[in-house]
Amino acid sequence: MDNDLYFFTLKSALNEIRNACPEITNTFIFKENGEIKIGDETTPEKTMIQVIDAFDDIFDKANAIGNIEHITVDGNNGRVNISCLNDIYFATVISKKADINYVNTITRILIPTVLRLLEKICPASLNNTSILPETESEAKLDSPVETEEKPEPITETKEEKIEKPQEKEPEIKPEQVFNEPQANQLIVENLSDLLTRVRLIKRMHSDTVHIDSVILSQWEKQYEGKKIEEVEIETFDGKSTRCKVKPIKDAKYEGKGAIQIPEKIQQTLQIKKGELVRAKPVIE
Amino acid sequence: MVKKKDFPDTTILTEPIVTEEATLTNDLRTNLEEIKTWEGVIGYILRNTTSAAIDLNDPTKIIDYAILSSSALEASEELSKLFNLGKIKNIIVEGKETKVLSLTVGENRISIFLEKQADHEKILKKLQ
Repeated sequence: MDNDLYFFTLKSALNEIRNACPEITNTFIFKENGEIKIGDETTPEKTMIQVIDAFDDIFDKANAIGNIEHITVDGNNGRVNISCLNDIYFATVISKKADINYVNTITRILIPTVLRLLEKICPASLNNTSILPETESEAKLDSPVETEEKPEPITETKEEKIEKPQEKEPEIKPEQVFNEPQANQLIVENLSDLLTRVRLIKRMHSDTVHIDSVILSQWEKQYEGKKIEEVEIETFDGKSTRCKVKPIKDAKYEGKGAIQIPEKIQQTLQIKKGELVRAKPVIE
Repeated sequence: MVKKKDFPDTTILTEPIVTEEATLTNDLRTNLEEIKTWEGVIGYILRNTTSAAIDLNDPTKIIDYAILSSSALEASEELSKLFNLGKIKNIIVEGKETKVLSLTVGENRISIFLEKQADHEKILKKLQ
C-alpha cells in the first residue's frame, strides 16, 4: 500500500509540475544505484535508463567533489537539471523558453518538500518504490500476521513453545489485533456527483465513503472474514470521523490508494481532493 | 606548370586552419592560467585531439577529476541527443565541496574545478 501511495503521489506531483509549467518537458525521479523511481507520463522508461547510464561515471567519481548536489546541462535548445535530495535524484528537462527562476522554485522547493513529506508519512517506502507500482499491499497489510509468524523458523524447541499458546489463544489473539486496526493512507477523491445529486441516494450515501475493494478485502482477510462496514477517517490535522464504507465502483481509482469522500464529509474534515488521510476499519 | 600551381594552393589552404586552432588553444590556455589565479578556482583541465594541459592544486585528484571531466562532457552529449538540447553550452556538476564547470570551445574540451561558492558565470563570460 505504501509503495502504491508513493507511486501515485509522486507521479501526480510530477504530472502537476508539467501542468503548472509546460516548459518542463520531462520530469523523473531516480536513485543513484540506477533504480528508477518514478517518471511523468511523457518520459519513457528507456529514456530514464539512458540518462542514468550517462551519469553513471559521474556518480562513480562524485566522491572527489563531495558527492553530487546538483547537475545542470545547458544547451542551445534547452536545459537538464538534476537535483539530489539525500540519495534521490530529481531530473527535469526544460525548454529554452522556460523562466528559470520559476522552474527552480518548483524543482528545488516543491519536489523536495513533497519528498520530505512522504518520507515523514511513510519513511521506508521510497527505498522500496520502483517505476512499476508493485501491488504488494497485501504484504504490508498482513505484516502483523507475518511478525507473529516470524518466530517460527528460530529453533525446533521454540516452535513447540510457540505452538502451544497458538492452540490456547485462538480466541484471544484476534481480539488483540482487532483492538489495533491497520490504518491506510489514502488520497482523497470526490465522490461522483451523479450519486450525490439524487436525493434518495444522497440520504443513503452522504455518510458513506468509497475505498478500493482490494483494501476492503485485505481488511476483511486480516479480520478473519469480518465484514467491514465502517471506517474511521483521520486527517493529518487530527480531525477524525466515522462513516460507512463501500468499495469504489469507478475503475479509474482501482488500485491507486484513493478514497472517495462525499463533499459534506470533506467539509467536516476540512480536506479536499488530492490530500492524504488515514483510514482504518472500525471493528466492534 | 599545372602541378606546380596545385601544390602551393593546398598548403595555403591547410595552414590557416592549423594556426587558427592552435591560436585558439593558446588563447584558451592563457585565459585559463589567468582564471586559475582567481579566488575559489582549484584548477583546470584543457584537452584537445593533440594535447592536454592540467593544472590542479591537488595533484592526487588528477585521475578522479580527469574522469569526472570527460564523463560530464560525454553525459552532456548523450543528454543533448536524448532531449534535443542542441549544442551544449556548458555543464555544471556541483558537489557539497566543489563544483566542476565543463564546456567545449572549438576542438578544446575544458573543465574548471571551483570551490562551491566561486562565481562560475564570471568564468563563462571570460571563456565564451
